[in-house]
Amino acid sequence: MPQVRIIAKNFMDMVAALPAMKLDKLYENAFICEAILRSLPPLAKKYVLQMLCIEVPVTAKSMEEWVLPDGVSKHRVAIDRLIQLRIFTETVDRKRETTYTLNPIFQTNLKKLLLYGVVLPREPMPSNVTVRLPSSEDLEAFALEQWECFLLQLINSSQIERPSNISSSMMKIFQRGLLSQRDKEAPRLTESGFQFLLMDTNAQLWYIIREYISNSEERGVDSADLISFLLELSFHVTGEAYNINTLTEVQKNTIKDLADLGLVKLQQGRKDSWFIPTRLATNLSVSLTDSSSRKQGFVVVETNFRLYAYSTSKLHCEILRLFSRVEYQLPNLIVGAITKESLYSAFENGITADQIISFLQQNAHPRVAERVPSVPENVTDQIRLWETDLNRVEMTPAYHYDGFPSRDLFEGASDFARGYNALLWEDPDDSKKMSLVVKAENHVHMREYLSRQRQ
Amino acid sequence: MASAPSKLYADDVSLLMVLLDTNPFFWSSSSLPFSMFLSHVLTFLNSILLLNQLNQVVVIATGYNSCSYIYDSSTSTNQGSDNGRMPARCVNLLQKLEEFVIKDEQLIKEGLREGIASSLLSGSLSMALCYIQRVFRSGPLHPQPRILCLQGSSDGPEQYVAIMNAIFSAQRSMVPIDSCYMGSSNSAFLQQASYITGGVYLKPQQPNGLFQYLSTVFATDLHSRAFLQLPKSLGVDFRASCFCHKKTIDMGYICSVCLSIFCKHHKKCSTCGSVFGQAQSDVNSTSNKKRKTPET
Repeated sequence: MPQVRIIAKNFMDMVAALPAMKLDKLYENAFICEAILRSLPPLAKKYVLQMLCIEVPVTAKSMEEWVLPDGVSKHRVAIDRLIQLRIFTETVDRKRETTYTLNPIFQTNLKKLLLYGVVLPREPMPSNVTVRLPSSEDLEAFALEQWECFLLQLINSSQIERPSNISSSMMKIFQRGLLSQRDKEAPRLTESGFQFLLMDTNAQLWYIIREYISNSEERGVDSADLISFLLELSFHVTGEAYNINTLTEVQKNTIKDLADLGLVKLQQGRKDSWFIPTRLATNLSVSLTDSSSRKQGFVVVETNFRLYAYSTSKLHCEILRLFSRVEYQLPNLIVGAITKESLYSAFENGITADQIISFLQQNAHPRVAERVPSVPENVTDQIRLWETDLNRVEMTPAYHYDGFPSRDLFEGASDFARGYNALLWEDPDDSKKMSLVVKAENHVHMREYLSRQRQ
Repeated sequence: MASAPSKLYADDVSLLMVLLDTNPFFWSSSSLPFSMFLSHVLTFLNSILLLNQLNQVVVIATGYNSCSYIYDSSTSTNQGSDNGRMPARCVNLLQKLEEFVIKDEQLIKEGLREGIASSLLSGSLSMALCYIQRVFRSGPLHPQPRILCLQGSSDGPEQYVAIMNAIFSAQRSMVPIDSCYMGSSNSAFLQQASYITGGVYLKPQQPNGLFQYLSTVFATDLHSRAFLQLPKSLGVDFRASCFCHKKTIDMGYICSVCLSIFCKHHKKCSTCGSVFGQAQSDVNSTSNKKRKTPET
């Protein structure tokens, strides 16, 4: 199974990894220029802006003159990023002087944006056609519900009321790495699967979108096209209706998948159909460091290990069930207890104590979030203790040597192993057996030593 | 440079308060026409808003007799009808600016002040600081504010006290005041404002390339300023204005109780009411320091 590393990776890293040809093509779209400019580190943004009206190459030296000693590393990062994204072209001339020029397409597009302001990617539909647009609360609720439904399906929960329309093959791709299936057994969440559930919505979205894009080639969709469409989508206005007929065939297919994820809501009018971007879609180009979209917490943990979660979400219940015993559920409240047994089953699934604790802390109910610590210390300590309980036995691969011909050779060998800090066990001095255990990684050295001694 | 406490936003989210000098007495004699100046500034505002979706720009017009908020990017809707080539943002701003200039002109007719035709910088600085205070109090999540004075007209010494108070208030709340001075000679007020608050004072050598100055120097967010070498002013004119005749003076009298400044000897401090003794005759004084009034 491929090893999937769950990291909240930025969209832009993915863009930067595109081949040069595709990247240059992407910059023909002004929205992408804007999204990419916004994703740059602060210093890089400034460099782009100050180079915007300069047509001639700028020497690296003249740029470095601006940098204070403290900022050299930041400057390096900014310049590297710009070159990586092909916004800057680096040239070294005959006098071995490095100069930078701004990508001309990027430059023209940004200039246009500055002079004429930001134009929307497409006009929203007039309100007389779209009669009943959902309110922003409804839209938010729709997006969350859709997303939760998708996640429940992703973790193969039995709690799904209505399966979403995402094809099972697509689902398999998303599940890759998050679930592991031993034969004939129900699939279980892997370690990274649990980490995935603990991430905030934006990061989860990124992970899924990333998988979606990396898989696009198999579906016959150009990944650059997909990226540009997704970025463009993030510049639409939340809650406005856009005619679906303005999209290309590929985009229409994509938008159906996105609707299943809750990024857009599709509505059918009498003649036209339209899509309404939700907040999930408009957050796509927002960098993950902006925590403005952070959700409110809902969990209260008491010192008696009881856990109260003020949530109506089935997903939250599923997550809590991973490491606690859910005792009863009221319409807006889940009550559970953190027990040794429930934690042991979590640890067995590869979930660590730190992950559980950080989940409880990050999702602390506002009432307890003000407190320091937000999760009682005795609970966090106990969770850690129970985890270390399981780790009392440490496994080290090792070799066992015995049958030494002489006492001298045995003692020499044990000293030699001690020198490598590899001796794990040796017979007590008075024993006649003369055997010792040495770490497996030093077996080669041991063998060499012993054969040398024998000669 | 450290700014106001506890922020959860990314480092470079900024709130830029732009104080726009609209003094007709200055712009009628300026080498750079006002329309050109405006187009540079508008492009600059666009670029600030382009850099980060959370960036916020507020424009305050500084007139001859009044000042007023003319644009706030957080309230005005960016979308809407694009009539022709002008984006909605500029249309709104220009409309408000025109209304403001007409109103300001009417006020001029009512009472023309004597002396130097200075703008009401103290008023717009105070307005900017009030706005920033409101942003500070709106919650822990707010952009980093800074003030940019785009000033052309010369200092009005009669505003000395008000401006200095505004500067110290900005210093207390860690708001840097950047100043871009378009006039012919340097502005002592703005030099002091930028010096005290840790902002940048710049007098563009070539006003035609204003946008380049603005985007290179004044677009730098507070986070990046810690890593960059921004222009430093060579000398700051620290001269004060006297409280009695509002004249800029090199030497004067200072009340030992409340530190009010006077250009000539008074019997009583007009600010705090302390009674001064007799000043020593200053005929044979060669000290080049400011003379303090003898103790009462």
